[in-house]
Amino acid sequence: MTFRAKLFWIFTLALVLSVGLIATGVTIAARKAFDESNRQHSDALVAQFQREFERRGQDVARRVQGIANAEGTVRMAIDLARPQADVSVYVSDARGVAQSYQLDFLDFVGNDGSIISSAENPARFGYKMDWVTKGADEKPIDWAAQGPFLTKLDTEAGPALALMAVSRVRVGDKDLYIVGGQKLGKEFLASLVLPAGMRALLYLNLDPNFQPANLIDVSGSVDQAQRFASFIDRVEQQPAEQTFTIDWTADPKSAEVFHALPLRGRQNELLGILLVGNSQREVVILERRIQILAIVAVAVGIFIALLLSWWGAARVTRPIRKLADAARGVTEGNWSARVDVRGGGEVGQLARAFNQMTQQLVEQRERLLQAERVAAWRELARRLAHELKNPLFPLQTTVENLRRAKEQNPEQFEEVFRESTGILLAEIENLKTIVARFSNFAKMPQPELGSVNLNEVVRSVVKLFEAQFGAVGRPPITPELHLEEGLPTIQADQALLHRAVENLVLNAMDAMPAGGVLMLRTTHQNGNVKLEISDTGTGLTPEECDRLFTPYYTTKQHGTGLGLAIVQSVVSDHGGRIAVESESGVGTSFHIELPGKPPQRPQVFPMVFEKKAEE
Amino acid sequence: MLSRRRAAVSGAAIILLAALPALSARRPRYGGTLRAEIGAAVSSLDPGGASANPEEAAAKAEIAALIYDHRNPDGTYSDPGPFRVSEWEPGKHLTLAANEDYRGGRPFVDAIEIQMRRAARDRVVDLEVNKTDLAEIPPEQARRAADRGTQVSTSQVDRLVALVFLAGHPAASDARLREAIADSIDRDAIVNFILQKEGEAAGGLLPQWSSGTAFLFATVSDPGRAKELWQQIAPSPKIVLGYDSDDPQEQAIAERIVVNAREAGITLTLRAISPSAAVSNVDAELVRLAMVSPQPQVALTSFLGVLNPLAGVNPDPLPDRASPDQIYESEKAIVRSFSVVPIAWMPQVYGLSARVRDWKVPGPGESWPLADVWLDGSGAAAAQGNP
Repeated sequence: MTFRAKLFWIFTLALVLSVGLIATGVTIAARKAFDESNRQHSDALVAQFQREFERRGQDVARRVQGIANAEGTVRMAIDLARPQADVSVYVSDARGVAQSYQLDFLDFVGNDGSIISSAENPARFGYKMDWVTKGADEKPIDWAAQGPFLTKLDTEAGPALALMAVSRVRVGDKDLYIVGGQKLGKEFLASLVLPAGMRALLYLNLDPNFQPANLIDVSGSVDQAQRFASFIDRVEQQPAEQTFTIDWTADPKSAEVFHALPLRGRQNELLGILLVGNSQREVVILERRIQILAIVAVAVGIFIALLLSWWGAARVTRPIRKLADAARGVTEGNWSARVDVRGGGEVGQLARAFNQMTQQLVEQRERLLQAERVAAWRELARRLAHELKNPLFPLQTTVENLRRAKEQNPEQFEEVFRESTGILLAEIENLKTIVARFSNFAKMPQPELGSVNLNEVVRSVVKLFEAQFGAVGRPPITPELHLEEGLPTIQADQALLHRAVENLVLNAMDAMPAGGVLMLRTTHQNGNVKLEISDTGTGLTPEECDRLFTPYYTTKQHGTGLGLAIVQSVVSDHGGRIAVESESGVGTSFHIELPGKPPQRPQVFPMVFEKKAEE
Repeated sequence: MLSRRRAAVSGAAIILLAALPALSARRPRYGGTLRAEIGAAVSSLDPGGASANPEEAAAKAEIAALIYDHRNPDGTYSDPGPFRVSEWEPGKHLTLAANEDYRGGRPFVDAIEIQMRRAARDRVVDLEVNKTDLAEIPPEQARRAADRGTQVSTSQVDRLVALVFLAGHPAASDARLREAIADSIDRDAIVNFILQKEGEAAGGLLPQWSSGTAFLFATVSDPGRAKELWQQIAPSPKIVLGYDSDDPQEQAIAERIVVNAREAGITLTLRAISPSAAVSNVDAELVRLAMVSPQPQVALTSFLGVLNPLAGVNPDPLPDRASPDQIYESEKAIVRSFSVVPIAWMPQVYGLSARVRDWKVPGPGESWPLADVWLDGSGAAAAQGNP
């Protein structure tokens, strides 16, 4: 993966994660805000209910007190305070008074706790209502201080919850109690002002177990009331404010969050539960809209992130790509490659360092070339001196013999002259041969490509040297061929390859004066063919390995130092590579790798030979 | 001393002069229009025609008794009565004019205007504001009406309210259940509070003044025994008690019965029954029985004529001229079956305006004596002198 691609994906990932995190954060924040809003709505409605409850209670108390203060009530109290008072005349009074004061419940209760008149249950006259006259401690109740309260009443239609208040009219030592109240039912729920999406339900805890009919709303009944059973039971077991959610259908929009508020009576008993329902429909719709917006934002963000990443990566990697191109150019020999990077920063510094480095490399290369050139010339001069010194010594000796013969033995001069001229001609011929060899190396021909099977080349070279491997008077050399069957043919100059392999075999034979094993192995990989030639000779030192392919360098007494240089030249002309590995005392291995088809230009060590060629 | 005598003579003269108009007012006068109000809506004056409810039938009978002189054994009427129909708006208003040729003599009043479909409360109010001269009022309102100055005329108790368990209803077939409910009923409370003491608790089917044996029937409630009996019945049946939806008094009594029963642990369900409803679908209902005669045997026989089809009570028939013991035994057999539970005896209560004179409360089987009533006042005085 390229640096640009990596940068692209890093930028993209970072931006996508950022956008995703922001979208998730917004969604979570929105949900929290909605939850908070729901809670506030519920709290507001509960507070409204409590205010309305208190207001209703005070209203009921005022009405009951108004009845107690009314002339008719006072007269009744006075009448009932008389001995042998006839209470029957008042038996039907409560209903009319209750209607006048808009009370659902009204009872006139005598001093002994007997009902004198009942509006909600006129037939209950004469029955006792003891809780009015005395409390649980059997002491009279201070109703003036008691205030309104919630209680359960038995009516003709069954039990009911009511907001009640009690007032007392005392005449002499006799009391007349006025017990009045209003029913806590759907009318009360209808009086609550509810925001859209909210509703108030009232569970009347009138039975030991959950009864769907006891759960009412403004219409008087609640659909699927049974769904509330477990929650009502929970509140009954733990009478405290609680919140629960009912999913009416599988659609989340149908969910409704309920806030349960326990309603208690005078004895702190649980008489009812107010349920404030908050439909989640709008919230879910809003959340979905936000989620869709978030998804769109994420999608757009990702798209923008891709564009920005692509642009950013391109911008960031442009100088690096230039650096890479320049470095590749340097690799390919373009030592004049330069990176044009403006601006500062690490990349700019890197580019400048690269330019400086290439500049220094060029300079060092020039110096190295200069040094190599000098060294080569020195080596050449040494070799030439060495090569030429050998024929020159006999020439000098011959010429001195001629002069001495002419001066000292003129009679033998003719014979000496004849022998000396022969020697001179032979040595001159030797000098010409030496010169020709150097000349031939300088005139290495360009390869003429054809289909070549490297195995055949190897076999022909080995066959050429078969006689010498087992020649009498020298230790035997055992050739071992490991030639891969089906080795593909390559485009090459067979003669040049033959010459190169021949030089390597000769080199190996020279490295094994005490005999040994010569191993030749061919393989192929990825369309390239490989040749390994190993000997079990004395091996080379690392320094020798480094200079091994340098022209005119030799470790042998009579070598020209051109053999391996020729091998390297042939391999290079075929676009291949040659390497050597050697271990002193173990042997040396040459590895040649040749492409199936050589490139137009030699790619390996081109400059050396090109420079050579130029020189 | 002399001055004392003069003063005494003067005082006697003043008293005599003051008493003269009163003496004059006690003499019957002709003329005037008697305004009467009834609760029923009489839709037809045909005495043989069908009536929607007993109240209409009773009102129709009263009107027939005014415009006819003779009631035949077959129930038809004949001979012109003391009044004739002058104006007739079915179900709303009826004006009767005095029959000058009535063989019993011309009635004192010139006409009777009968306003129909007046509720009991409205009738009481109309009496108080002198908007009407005669109206039957519920017994429970008699005392209050009297306290407010209305002239109230009360008959002997001759109307029975009874709880009747309907024959053929399985829920009420258990005698223990019927007895439990009967024992739970506090009759005294019903009489004292609902009827405002205008009545008597009823233990038997006939009133004490008629049979002389009513005291032998217990009227006190026994919630303990009621509870005990009810607990013997398992499973507890659901009893539906019906009452006349147009009768607030019946409703009040029914509600009290339900409350009494509830206190004994018995659950009764109330259901209002429209008088015109063909099917009531109740297990028991409140029934009003009016005595047609002060004679106990006649009255009991007429009661049985109503109760037999309802409750299925069918005691041995009484012989002609049955003895009080036989009547008592027959009555006891019915009461002991608990299929009919007598609740209370009520009187007929009429409210009269101050100018109505010589009104006599009709006894059992008697009609309103309007031919004998005369009106005191200026309107009537103008007509004085007519034969």
